[in-house]
Amino acid sequence: MLKKLVGGILFTTFTFSQTTVNPQFSVIGDLVMDHLHKDPSLLTSGIEIAVQGYVNPFARADIYLHKHNDDSPIELEEAVMTIERGLPFGLGLRAGKFRPDLGKINQSHAHLFPFIEVPAGMAKILGEEFWSATGVETNVFLPLPWYSNFSLGYFDSGISSHDYSDYEKDEDDHDHENDHKDKDDHNHDDEKDHGREKQTNAFSIRWSHFFELNNVNHLELGLSGYSGKAEQILGADFKYKWRPNKYRSLTLQAEVLQHSLEDEYMEKAVHPDEKLTVAYAMVNFQFNKAYNFGVLIDYWSLGLADDEGMNPSIFFGFSPVEESAVLRLKIGQLERENDEKNHKKYLKTTIQIIWSLGPHKPHRY
Amino acid sequence: MRTLIIIMSMISFLFGKVRIVTSTTDIADIAKIIGGDHVTVTSIARGNQDPHYVEILPSYMLKVRKADIYFMVGMELDLWAQQIIDGSRNRKVLIVDCSVGINKMEVPTGQIDASMGDIHRFGNPHYWLDPENGKLIARMVAEKLINHDSKNADQYQANLTQFEKDLDSAISIWTKRFSNLKDKDIIFYHNSWPYFSKRFGLKTVDFLEPKPMITPSPSKLNQVIQKIKSDGIEVIASESYFSDRAPKFIASKTKVKTVKLAQSVGAIESADSYINLFETNLTILAKAYGVSYD
Repeated sequence: MLKKLVGGILFTTFTFSQTTVNPQFSVIGDLVMDHLHKDPSLLTSGIEIAVQGYVNPFARADIYLHKHNDDSPIELEEAVMTIERGLPFGLGLRAGKFRPDLGKINQSHAHLFPFIEVPAGMAKILGEEFWSATGVETNVFLPLPWYSNFSLGYFDSGISSHDYSDYEKDEDDHDHENDHKDKDDHNHDDEKDHGREKQTNAFSIRWSHFFELNNVNHLELGLSGYSGKAEQILGADFKYKWRPNKYRSLTLQAEVLQHSLEDEYMEKAVHPDEKLTVAYAMVNFQFNKAYNFGVLIDYWSLGLADDEGMNPSIFFGFSPVEESAVLRLKIGQLERENDEKNHKKYLKTTIQIIWSLGPHKPHRY
Repeated sequence: MRTLIIIMSMISFLFGKVRIVTSTTDIADIAKIIGGDHVTVTSIARGNQDPHYVEILPSYMLKVRKADIYFMVGMELDLWAQQIIDGSRNRKVLIVDCSVGINKMEVPTGQIDASMGDIHRFGNPHYWLDPENGKLIARMVAEKLINHDSKNADQYQANLTQFEKDLDSAISIWTKRFSNLKDKDIIFYHNSWPYFSKRFGLKTVDFLEPKPMITPSPSKLNQVIQKIKSDGIEVIASESYFSDRAPKFIASKTKVKTVKLAQSVGAIESADSYINLFETNLTILAKAYGVSYD
């Protein structure tokens, strides 16, 4: 019902508000290679196509399509209409399929990560491609002396419909099987996800604060919550940035999510009070207009099962002309479960090349 | 009772003002002059910041949230402004593009693409660096203020007349005092200065950037060094936000002098107003060339 309503809104908006001005098109391609894959050939992760523009003076539409380098069909990542001006009481509204305002990292597209891949711990809750769902989200500035934004969303598919066990399974498959099998599994899992999406509705909330400490120091703090079918997630996030000029910046970012599990995790029975806690912390230093390096600590824990893991990694980036072409390198530990208690650790090296075609977008904090 | 009257007067004083937000400090300074005591003015970009790339901070949206008028530079220089305005949820703000009415320079012809660097399809957007264009910006600001706050129209008109008179007088003085800069060859880091050069007669012979916003490459630096040596170019000027490394490297290989100019109000301490922006830059250049300017 919600999907039909949102689809109807988007269709009506596009049909009746379309003007002679074309939307902006941009394409981002990436090429990823890592040494854990037995096939030494380069693995193209795929391309993201973005179509963006105003539908009228108050609303904007953003559509993101993603195509993996395999036989899978083009995926609709996001198709969302955003009304930022025009609603009463300073309300903002998003409707369509999009990444809900839950935590800091969930709204970021993967090509923006300086550390190339989704932190494995976060993927255990949000899924490898993060939580994207169809729904409606409204947000409002709170009347405080600093920037304080509160958002509330309702969605037709919860996080569990993404099944975080897929991430582990995909990673294991990479280690043991050839890439073609990986891709088949991925497709299969996607289909499985879509089949489940209609089963759970979910709410999300986020309360974020931004402080301009001075001209070069900025701090953002956020609290998030999620409620799905008999499951809850609580989260907190933090970002600090020091940017004295265009050649140097230091970013510290950390986020923690705690997922109350029911009685099962990764198809294994767990205590009903079990909680999965995941977190990451990142330091990223831009030491030149084009170069940056940093450290990522990726953590997860099942408290009652006394089972936890931590993967440190270092990363390096080179972007000679803004972000029209970016080369990234990451060397880090990858931890996988061999059995219930034993985790085997690998050293994984990943190289990524990203290119973008189309208008350069201004950077949001 | 007296306290209440004072409080009411203060509230009226604060809330009766026209709230203006501008993309850059240059337009902000002009808006302050035209608006006087009847306006509050906030600039998003700082004077020493590269106006091409401003990271959009959530706090900027808060600044625009209650604004009555937003003055943009336009010509795709401050593309970031639209996201700030949208994010502010302010549905009443009047958005004004100050580039309307400017006689635009370097408007590209034919197809343009990213192979040309960060080229602006509507022409070079650094138009505020010609003081004559400052008058056009001031007229735009006055017109919008008069429409928005007609009860103070006379004051805005008087402030505009005075500003134009002051600027005309300054231009006349600068033209005479700095006439020795005329026809001097100069190399700029970035192509921010065509309006300034045209007004004061400087001859731009090259840029350190091989293409707009592309970092100087070793081959480009070598080419510039050869040009300086063969043509006897005396000065390299760069915007305050660029690194000194490339100009200093060239200076170490040649006898060229390197200077930093204020691309906007506040970029350099002495460039603390729109009129002082030109006074500062012209004085820096005259000193670098070693010409008299008194």
